[in-house]
Amino acid sequence: MTLRDLIVISTGNLWRMKLRTLLTTSGVLIAIAAFVSMLSFGAGNQEQINNEFNKLGLFSTMQVYPKNKENISDTTTAAKLDQRALERLAAVPGVNIVYPYDAFSVTARLGDSVLSAKAQALPIAAVQTKLFSNLSAGGAFDSNNSHEAIISTDFVKKAGFTSPDSIIGKRLVLSVRVSVIDSGLAHILVDRGETVLDRIRRIHLDSLVNKEYRSKVLRGEVNETIRRFLNGFINAQSVVNDTLRVCGVRGPDRVGRMRIESIIIPASTAARFSSSGFGGNPSEIFSAMSSGTLFERTNDASGKTYSQVTIDFDPKVIYKSIRDSVEAMGFRTFSFAAEFEQIQRAFLYIDLALGVIGLIALLTASLGIVNTMVMSITERRREIGVLKSLGADELDIRWLFLVESGVIGILGTVAGILFGWTITRIVSAIAQAYMKNQGIPPVDVFALPAWLILIALSVGVGVSVVAGFYPAARAARVDAVEALRND
Amino acid sequence: MSSETFLSSIELCRYYHRGPQTVRALDGVTITVARGEFLSIVGSSGSGKTTLLNLLAGLDTPTAGVVELGGVPLTSMSRRQLSAYRAHKVGMIFQSFNLISHYTALQNVETALYFNGTAPNERRRLSTQILEQLGLADRMTHRPADLSGGEQQRVAVARAIVKSPEILFADEPTGNLDFENAEAIVNLLMKLNRDGLTIVLVTHNLEMAQHYTQRTIRMQYGRVIQSGSTKTAEQPLP
Ligand SMILES: Nc1ncnc2c1ncn2[C@@H]1O[C@H](COP(=O)(O)OP(=O)(O)O)[C@@H](O)[C@H]1O
Ligand SMILES: [Mg+2]
Repeated sequence: MTLRDLIVISTGNLWRMKLRTLLTTSGVLIAIAAFVSMLSFGAGNQEQINNEFNKLGLFSTMQVYPKNKENISDTTTAAKLDQRALERLAAVPGVNIVYPYDAFSVTARLGDSVLSAKAQALPIAAVQTKLFSNLSAGGAFDSNNSHEAIISTDFVKKAGFTSPDSIIGKRLVLSVRVSVIDSGLAHILVDRGETVLDRIRRIHLDSLVNKEYRSKVLRGEVNETIRRFLNGFINAQSVVNDTLRVCGVRGPDRVGRMRIESIIIPASTAARFSSSGFGGNPSEIFSAMSSGTLFERTNDASGKTYSQVTIDFDPKVIYKSIRDSVEAMGFRTFSFAAEFEQIQRAFLYIDLALGVIGLIALLTASLGIVNTMVMSITERRREIGVLKSLGADELDIRWLFLVESGVIGILGTVAGILFGWTITRIVSAIAQAYMKNQGIPPVDVFALPAWLILIALSVGVGVSVVAGFYPAARAARVDAVEALRND
Repeated sequence: MSSETFLSSIELCRYYHRGPQTVRALDGVTITVARGEFLSIVGSSGSGKTTLLNLLAGLDTPTAGVVELGGVPLTSMSRRQLSAYRAHKVGMIFQSFNLISHYTALQNVETALYFNGTAPNERRRLSTQILEQLGLADRMTHRPADLSGGEQQRVAVARAIVKSPEILFADEPTGNLDFENAEAIVNLLMKLNRDGLTIVLVTHNLEMAQHYTQRTIRMQYGRVIQSGSTKTAEQPLP
């Protein structure tokens, strides 16, 4: 018997028992539809995240931070993220560009709105990486010192505009309140009309021999000095203004776990704000104090250290090799590629869980197949006897039944995949309509990749054929002499 | 007539166990079937005729004794070899026809060619040809339920001979037929025998056996009680 013969005979038998075939096949159909639609949900979400990551070039981006000291007694000095470190990072094979996170507080005027925001300085090369080049309107800056800015959609919304396109070419006025060390120092000497001499005169010199009095005076003086310095530093600020042109609008402020500031300006343009002194945020002065750079000349870039540096690397290079090189220099890293591996592991578990539910349904369906086939043996005993008398071997009979359950499996699986796909289309349409209604950009959270079709086919047909093993073996063992008896 | 032995049984036994009781369906049967002969086996119901046929066809295994096919014992053959023996050399017809009820006459005949390696298009051609020869040209697409008893048995004969077997076992083929149809079937068998087919006909009708066949073996209680030529000087019917 050829395979063609087997298929012709099996389909003939199934066609004869239409209702029974339909019911048995429906079991497989429903199980496979459940299996496919559930895994399709997993696959769809995975694809969505994958696309998002890819679109933004997050797979080829790595953040570098200085290492935290693990304990205070650790005397080794942590590697600094300074200009020299930047150069060394840029030299790592596979690294395209390296740029620091350099942000400061600004007051921004766009149209009629005045908003406080943060501005981030970026070299033009960085703006051209995937992370920033995906603009919803406009384009990148012309050069590192052009008077242009890229703003986020969040900022556009806050400023009261609706369409990103209408913003392009608008004037954006940035003002930075700059404090200088000198104004702080001046106030230590004279504050509210009181000089240092006035204070010294008030100290009872003869009582300084008393230990308690001495420490009280010292504490008081230290407190007063700091108060005076900050008072002068914060209140005696000058304001630097610059008028920029909005050249582009990019996505929202947050990209995954990474924050991108609302306003991005060219590196050299930004330098004019920061070289004038510290920004208006007092925390900046503390960070300068702690890093020991308070009194360094701020326009000297070689002395400047950064809290975060971004590396953009060749997507063809394995992120691990870059991560290892960077960590060997004594830095901490964060990369979405590493993050993504974990996300994928999580998806694997979800897929497995969903798959197991589908498999349980399929197991139930396979019991239906076993039942149908065993019943048909009883009905076809005489036929089996006749076939044996005509020279059919046990193996032929076995194949006949296996192919029959296989055909049930193929029919049920193909129909199940189609049905499952139809379900996901309907649910997806409803979900997308809902998302649109809620103002969320609609996404298709279902996907039917080729691998899912292949898995569904092999699992569906495989389980059905396995379900046919027992009935086939039983059919093959039917005693021909008994089956052909006259009574 | 050639005297070459085609098939033989030696001290063939087949016992069935019914609880503590042993039914000796066949109890030491020794017979020979010569190539080209028309042999009849006669005996009352329960004498072991069907049991003997099934053993000769390799469908059943003996409790003791052997069946030899051209000197080769069937017991030495594998299961597959026995299947092949039936597929290529043996044709069988039964009292109750044993047609597959959901197949047409043509499909029933074609089924016999599934197992002897006949090409699919040959299967149809040969089956059509044989049904036409047996006068069933206008019954090919009929299912057994739509055929008369005589027609059903002719389809069964067509199925048995379509593969050009070397031996035909007929187990009471006329048992369910009226006189006319029975005669037609027996005449058909005689014609096939004249064309060279070896036939073993089982019947409980001694008269018919003696009238039509060359040699009759009489059985009782699983034993051969008489064996001999029935019509020594018989000439084939015109
Ligand atoms: N499977 C069986 N189990 C028990 N007894 C059987 C079985 N098959 C046949 N027999 C017995 O063997 C004897 C011979 O049967 P059978 O060969 O069918 O006789 P015949 O064909 O001559 O009527 C009968 O007594 C029958 O009851
Ligand atoms: Mg009988």
